[in-house]
Amino acid sequence: MTAWLYRLEEGVIALLLVALTLLVFFEVVLRFGFGTGFLWAQEVSLYLGAWFILVGASYALREGAHIAVDAVVNLLDGTVKRVVAAIAVASSLLYCGILMTAAWAYLERLFQLGIEMEDVALPRWIGQSCLFLGFALLALRLALLLVAIVRGRADGFKHLDEAAEALDALAHQAPEASGREAGRR
Amino acid sequence: MVTAFLFTALFVCMLIGMPVAFSLGLASVLSIILFSSDSLASIALKFFQNTSTKYVLLAVPFFILSSVFLTTGGVARRLIRFATALVGHVRGGLAMASVLACMFFAAVSGSSPATVAAIGSICIAAMVRAGYSQSMATGVVMNAGTLGILIPPSIVMIVYAAATEVSAAKMFMAGFVPGILIGLMLLVTIYVVARIRRLPALPFAGLGEIASAGFGALGGLLLIVLVLGAIYGGIASPTEAAAVSAVYAFLVAVCGHRDMGPVRGAPWRKVDETLPSAFARNLALTAKGILWSPFDGEVRHAVLEGAKVSIMLLFVIANAMLFAHVLTTERIPHTIAEMVTDAGLSPWMFLVVVNVLLLVAGNFMEPSGVILIMAPILFPIALELGIDPIHLGIIMVVNMEIGLLTPPVGLNLFVAAGITRQSLLWAAKAALPWLAVLLTALIIITYVPSISLFLPELLEQWRIGSAQP
Repeated sequence: MTAWLYRLEEGVIALLLVALTLLVFFEVVLRFGFGTGFLWAQEVSLYLGAWFILVGASYALREGAHIAVDAVVNLLDGTVKRVVAAIAVASSLLYCGILMTAAWAYLERLFQLGIEMEDVALPRWIGQSCLFLGFALLALRLALLLVAIVRGRADGFKHLDEAAEALDALAHQAPEASGREAGRR
Repeated sequence: MVTAFLFTALFVCMLIGMPVAFSLGLASVLSIILFSSDSLASIALKFFQNTSTKYVLLAVPFFILSSVFLTTGGVARRLIRFATALVGHVRGGLAMASVLACMFFAAVSGSSPATVAAIGSICIAAMVRAGYSQSMATGVVMNAGTLGILIPPSIVMIVYAAATEVSAAKMFMAGFVPGILIGLMLLVTIYVVARIRRLPALPFAGLGEIASAGFGALGGLLLIVLVLGAIYGGIASPTEAAAVSAVYAFLVAVCGHRDMGPVRGAPWRKVDETLPSAFARNLALTAKGILWSPFDGEVRHAVLEGAKVSIMLLFVIANAMLFAHVLTTERIPHTIAEMVTDAGLSPWMFLVVVNVLLLVAGNFMEPSGVILIMAPILFPIALELGIDPIHLGIIMVVNMEIGLLTPPVGLNLFVAAGITRQSLLWAAKAALPWLAVLLTALIIITYVPSISLFLPELLEQWRIGSAQP
């Protein structure tokens, strides 16, 4: 079940990014190749971007991609480290909580006003609901992390960062390069 | 009072290990709730705007996606082969080739860590095998890799453009000459060191190898022409050029080089194959490459890899914009600007302060975050003192390059430490001697504005000239 949900999440994120890229790409091609374009392209691409960032924030947490300064925390160990980590996660939850409340109040206002998006016939509150959804998903992951820390199964955010990402990409690099590496050893 | 709270909250959050993005966000929303009369709903509105009103920021995920495809798709490897064929026969040639390859890769990717990873993973090992010390090999690549954010396209420049409403295309033009300058300075330094230490040279590869390596690297080199040509020529906005570059990089990696994806390893022409049948087969393979990609594990992995890095960066950016919003509503940049002008600081003294401030800030935060927080503060002062906003942007980017090489948050150090399986401290020491080159360049670029401004002004004149013949 969890594995299936993970796959779904990855699929949604990848789809959002690819849709965003292709939309802007075809808009350029249409404009220069054929002198036409979609009126709605700019607004839709901006909304897609917002959904990508906000829904993706929780995915990035799962993958440990959010960068942090861990130099100080790494000096600690044992229970102290876990307590500090718990405080950090709880503060992050507070942040999500504030933004969820704010998003709810904002979306409620939009719902009451009943305005539509500029170029798309869709109520604006639906278009911007990713604001609540994104922070709710993030809060869910943080809550799970907090439980894991309290139970002693984790002692911090799993900090990877852009650096580790770049390295991870290497592991999947062209076979010849890694083959050469192996041959050297 | 608010300022003190804002910055204290930020530092405490970061100190206890909260991700930078959450720290920026929490410090900002707490300041708004505690000290201002803004409603909660307005925070949400602001946050949504941060993620969705700057069209130029969409270029960030596109350039990252294109970097991922170029790295996994073997373009980096071909650029290195070409660079080695060109300069390998000079003393210290392999190190020079690494710098050249970093410059090529910087011109197709907008990120420094990506450049170090792509070039370093191949070049460091090759240099060590050829008899260079590991620390020299690593130091050279780490320093040249910082050019990723100076030689256009550049993600950090896009962020600066978003923060200050300066044209990203102009920033791209301005970064070109300083980027080449730093590259040349590194090359000359390597040559001198190579002479003194009697470092090895490779035999001359021959014109045949140069031509064949150049042909192999064509996929990557054409992308440089495509992206920069489109932006410099004023044909496409940086965002559009970035989207085209992402699609192009995918096509080159999957259908051109066939180093990844559904048609991986298929030859362009088999032995004894007639031309028409090879043509038909390749047409079918290209179609298969495109259509099957959504179901291919490698392609999906590359897309998710790009998604992860993009989300991380854009989430930092959205929260840093909230932070900058609090700063501006508290009129902090304004107050500081008044203080500076009242103190009678001359432009060059101000630039010294800017450099010191940014070098310190760059040690603790990732470049995009620093730019978003510092630009609103420094920008009005620079205008007041008559410093060109584009020039200020380039100074900030060069400072961020140095920040990438200093602990604790030097991203290039992390990458290099990972590649060489050494400690972060070792990597920092390896980078240190070459950092002198970057610092010298920083001083030159800071005090000779025309290095940055010469190209954008020239292109501006051309465009006006061609508009009214």
